[in-house]
Amino acid sequence: MTSVDETRREVREGASGPLLTMEGIRKTFGSVLALDGVDLTVGRSEVHGLLGGNGAGKTTLMNVLYGLYRPDSGSVVLDGSPVDIRDPRDAISHGIGMVHQNFLQVDTYTVTENVVLGTSLPSWPSLDLDDPAERIAELSKRFGLTVDPHAKVATLSVGLRQRVEILKALYRGAKVLVLDEPTTNLTPQEVDSLFGSLRAIVDEGMSVVFITHKIRETMAVCDALTVMRDGKRVGTVRRADTSASELATLMVGDDAAVGRVTEVVTAGMGAAAGTAATGAPARDLGDAPVRVSVRDLVVLGDHGVPATHGVSFDIRRGEVVGIAGVAGNGQVELAEAVAGVRALEKGAVEVDGEPLAGRPTAVWLESGVAYVPEDRHRDGILPSASIMENLVLGAQRSVRFRKGPFVDWKAARRHAEEAIRAYSVKASGPSAPAAALSGGNMQRVILARAFSHRPGFLILHNPTRGLDIPSTQFVYDRVREAAAEHSAVLLMSEDLDELTHLCDRVLVLYSGRIVGERTRGHYDQYELGHLMAGLEDTA
Amino acid sequence: MNEATSFLQLVVTAMVPFILAAQGTMIAGRAGVFNVAQEGLMMLGASVGFLVSLKMGGNLVGLLVAALVGAAFGWFLGWVTTRFRLDQFVIGLALFFAATGIASLLYKVVIGVTLKPPLIDTLPDLEIPLLSSIPVVGTVLFTQDVMVYFAFLVSGLLYWMLYRTNLGLKLRSVGENPKAADSLGVSVARTRIWCSTAGGALMALAGAYLPMTYTGTYTEGIVAGRGWLAIALAFFGGWRPQYILAGSAFFAGMEVLALRVQVGGVDIPHQFISMLPYAATLLVMMFALRWASVPAFLGRNYDRESRH
Amino acid sequence: MTTTATPPTTTAPAKPAGRRGTDLSWTVLSYALAVLLAFVVSGIVIAALGHSPVDAFRAILTTSFKSSFGFVETVQKWVPLVLLTLAFTIPLAAGKYNIGGEGQLLVGATAAAAVGIILKDAPMVVLLPLVLLVGVLAGGVYAWIAAWLMDRFGVNEILSTVLLNFVSFGIVDYVASEVWSDPAAGHPTTVPIGDGGLLPLVGTPPMHTGVVLAVLVCAATVVVMRRTVPGFELRAVGTNPRAAQVHGVRIGRVAVGSLVVGGALAGFAGAIEVAGVHGKLIEGMQSNYLLLGIIIGLIARGNALAVPFVAFGIAVLEVGASAMQRTADVPSEMVLIVEALILLFLLFSDVVGTRLRRSSR
Repeated sequence: MTSVDETRREVREGASGPLLTMEGIRKTFGSVLALDGVDLTVGRSEVHGLLGGNGAGKTTLMNVLYGLYRPDSGSVVLDGSPVDIRDPRDAISHGIGMVHQNFLQVDTYTVTENVVLGTSLPSWPSLDLDDPAERIAELSKRFGLTVDPHAKVATLSVGLRQRVEILKALYRGAKVLVLDEPTTNLTPQEVDSLFGSLRAIVDEGMSVVFITHKIRETMAVCDALTVMRDGKRVGTVRRADTSASELATLMVGDDAAVGRVTEVVTAGMGAAAGTAATGAPARDLGDAPVRVSVRDLVVLGDHGVPATHGVSFDIRRGEVVGIAGVAGNGQVELAEAVAGVRALEKGAVEVDGEPLAGRPTAVWLESGVAYVPEDRHRDGILPSASIMENLVLGAQRSVRFRKGPFVDWKAARRHAEEAIRAYSVKASGPSAPAAALSGGNMQRVILARAFSHRPGFLILHNPTRGLDIPSTQFVYDRVREAAAEHSAVLLMSEDLDELTHLCDRVLVLYSGRIVGERTRGHYDQYELGHLMAGLEDTA
Repeated sequence: MNEATSFLQLVVTAMVPFILAAQGTMIAGRAGVFNVAQEGLMMLGASVGFLVSLKMGGNLVGLLVAALVGAAFGWFLGWVTTRFRLDQFVIGLALFFAATGIASLLYKVVIGVTLKPPLIDTLPDLEIPLLSSIPVVGTVLFTQDVMVYFAFLVSGLLYWMLYRTNLGLKLRSVGENPKAADSLGVSVARTRIWCSTAGGALMALAGAYLPMTYTGTYTEGIVAGRGWLAIALAFFGGWRPQYILAGSAFFAGMEVLALRVQVGGVDIPHQFISMLPYAATLLVMMFALRWASVPAFLGRNYDRESRH
Repeated sequence: MTTTATPPTTTAPAKPAGRRGTDLSWTVLSYALAVLLAFVVSGIVIAALGHSPVDAFRAILTTSFKSSFGFVETVQKWVPLVLLTLAFTIPLAAGKYNIGGEGQLLVGATAAAAVGIILKDAPMVVLLPLVLLVGVLAGGVYAWIAAWLMDRFGVNEILSTVLLNFVSFGIVDYVASEVWSDPAAGHPTTVPIGDGGLLPLVGTPPMHTGVVLAVLVCAATVVVMRRTVPGFELRAVGTNPRAAQVHGVRIGRVAVGSLVVGGALAGFAGAIEVAGVHGKLIEGMQSNYLLLGIIIGLIARGNALAVPFVAFGIAVLEVGASAMQRTADVPSEMVLIVEALILLFLLFSDVVGTRLRRSSR
């Protein structure tokens, strides 16, 4: 195993020219073409941005580099010599490290155990992890990645777990470090600290590939960047020679398309996170009545421990309220509780004056609660069932789809055909299995279902996660439409840009409590980040 | 030898099939393979072990061949669920039928239908020098047959391997988060296949022990649900070798107790006594599961290129 | 293992899907190939054992059709098989494995026999419906124990249903050798139930009318599974319990309900065996119906429409098995291996099918 020092020496002494070249990478999944002959060149000691909307193929390209996907064709040249990467083991031995968006960690292991996993270690008479722990401590000091090597990763915050992922790569002597959307779920302060570490890493001679869909971030940290769209590379530029608006055009394609989806791209473009007061001034809701009232909500998490401690808020007719917070601070539990899926331990939820606490989920649905869950594969769809059946789900007992004890499949089919048209779902028809849909189309089906009974209270949890730019725009439009039609909307998102862009009001959730509130016109992402980190509200 | 000592000695003997079968379940399960074919594999082990001992020279050969046959079944389960990602429960059930059928078929082919089945020698007790002369403990623990020592040794080795070696660190990660393991170059498929193979061997050994210590011959009802109880034991022991070893004492105790009560002429219909081990297990499962942890990917296949 | 943590099964629950044409022909082909391969492989084994595969297979396949006795035996065997298969596949549609059909059948049979013996002088209009109903209820209640343990305590339903089988053996043994024992039988057996509790027989050789009831149950199951709201909810829970729960389906209730209905059908099978075949409770009357029910359910891939047909095929094999042992001297266990092989080859055909489809794209 090469240590960081050796890497540095090698790089300094090594030949000039790019550190990594990928050429003509092509990858299909079944009949879907995910990568269409993509080229990528990463220089030495540089942070190389890989920019594009979701579904552009950035992660797929890097999974090919890391040996998780086998490309159909294409070649990889590392340090001047061609390499054949069949699996992650090969990638690691060639000095490639990757930090995945969903951390790949064993929750029950300590930091050290997670870091050393898969390396060779002496086991006789017994595994000794003291030396590795020391090395990990040393690496974390050097790169500003402080974390306790003996802590169980399950107990760590998202920010710290990300440090563990980076340490895994550094420990293995990575020359190229790939980070996939590393700023998701970090507070702006944590993002700054991450960028500091990345600079320290490239200063030691390594290179970083930084995957993101946010133009602002590439402008903040990258030396060069490659823009991808629809599985193709559309351009490679040096940061010094480009501008945010040029990147936006590259990301979206032709100018006409830019017009349609500018909102999404510009939401992530805001020149710098620090600039306060993004978006339009506060919307006047007049004297719109309260539609949703949540009082003193206590909800238990999966392990029977309270995940929220007395959360209260109101949402007025036509109001969009956002919940900001780092994942794991009670968002899932709160969303499921106000959607009627998770039992309330204490507290009350009223929708249009009707108390719903303690009632079965079906009653909540009938009362106009609609929930778009965070994990659409796990909570949103019946994968092997048809689109038609998925659209009936939740309404199977309503008169619209029922004739006595029987499901009215004729009505269901008519409804599905309509929904497929109205929501532009790309599918062969109502009988197509939902599992075959792309993420964006799946989300359209879920939205169609949520909107089909004119929700009075719409809950969306990370509704644009993993969606491409047009689908994200589609979600934004639907959120606006719901508000215009007088729904009360609760938007929980890991994306501060999305929240400040769409919401009339943002509440910050930390450790199961609402620790602060800002209204439109008073958004400052650093302030919000401050609150998200659990620091006191100074405003 | 007093009553209590002989009771405990019997309990320790009765622990052996539970220990071996449950450790087999555990080792496959820790890598994520949930083998539900135990009952069948134990029958097959009993049949093969008995027949080979009878026809091909002795108990040890019988044990060895039974282990190999069990390993082959375990390997098959591991192979088809990793290579082709077929459903673990469905394949497990199919193997359960196949093993059950083959067990009876082999017996009928070799022995046929007879009124007086042939017998093999049971395993002799081996006294461990010095240790066996300790009062009570010496009789209970150190005057036993070779498989008793083997079962305890295997449990100890598994504990050491799982928690004190790099191999164990990798192995456990495959059952907890195969994607993480895979991303660090740990081969999920190979680990699972090996663990499932080892597990199958242990299960068949558990079965082969039955004719060699109790009956001296093979009968259709010889396993009597011990395979299913072993799965319960694996859950009950939190998929940890040390707790499984401890928990096997409970299962064995129930079994010996049921026998004793029947023989002892207590005024309870023997049919109710015979339900005791199963009913007691259900009762224990009701409460023991609260603290028991289960490998996160138990029974779930892993697909590297799955996009979600 | 807590029940909520049980991953959704991907292979088992069948559902009406699109693209029927090529799928159907592929299905027929894969079944035919699986059966053929299973016979080829077991034929080789039979030959290796020194017997004639041709004689063996002739015995297996023709016994049911050579005589009307064989046919009636097959149809009567089909009844418990099809009911035990549904007892397995209905919970399976909700992602639950009911491996306790044996115990549910026995408890249903015990309850039915108890009523038939206690009220042996009651007239048929009273006694027969009562015998059947009590069998259904007892089977359902027995399965409910496992369902309750699963729902309330998170006990894995595979384990609880299996362990309850062993408990039921003790119950049957006790009732048949202590409570209403028939000492003349030489084997734990109860005295016969009242004549009013026996299912009427029709035709020559006589066939009990439980067959008609089983056909009705099959038809009802197909309609309920495909057309009704509970059937839809059941399939939704089987496909993705989390999504079903989020959308208002009470998954705990559906899972418990599916197990109870499954148990009730197994209990029904027990009652029919008592009222139609034996006229009393006999230890060991469960035969190997549990195993066969699971095999049939898996071969039919949980599809309620396919179950009766697959069950008939297996009934033919089972009736032929003893004839094979008599005439060709091949142990009857060979049939169990044939069945397991059919299942394994069928599962492999999925793999082959997926590969073929992928490469033809």
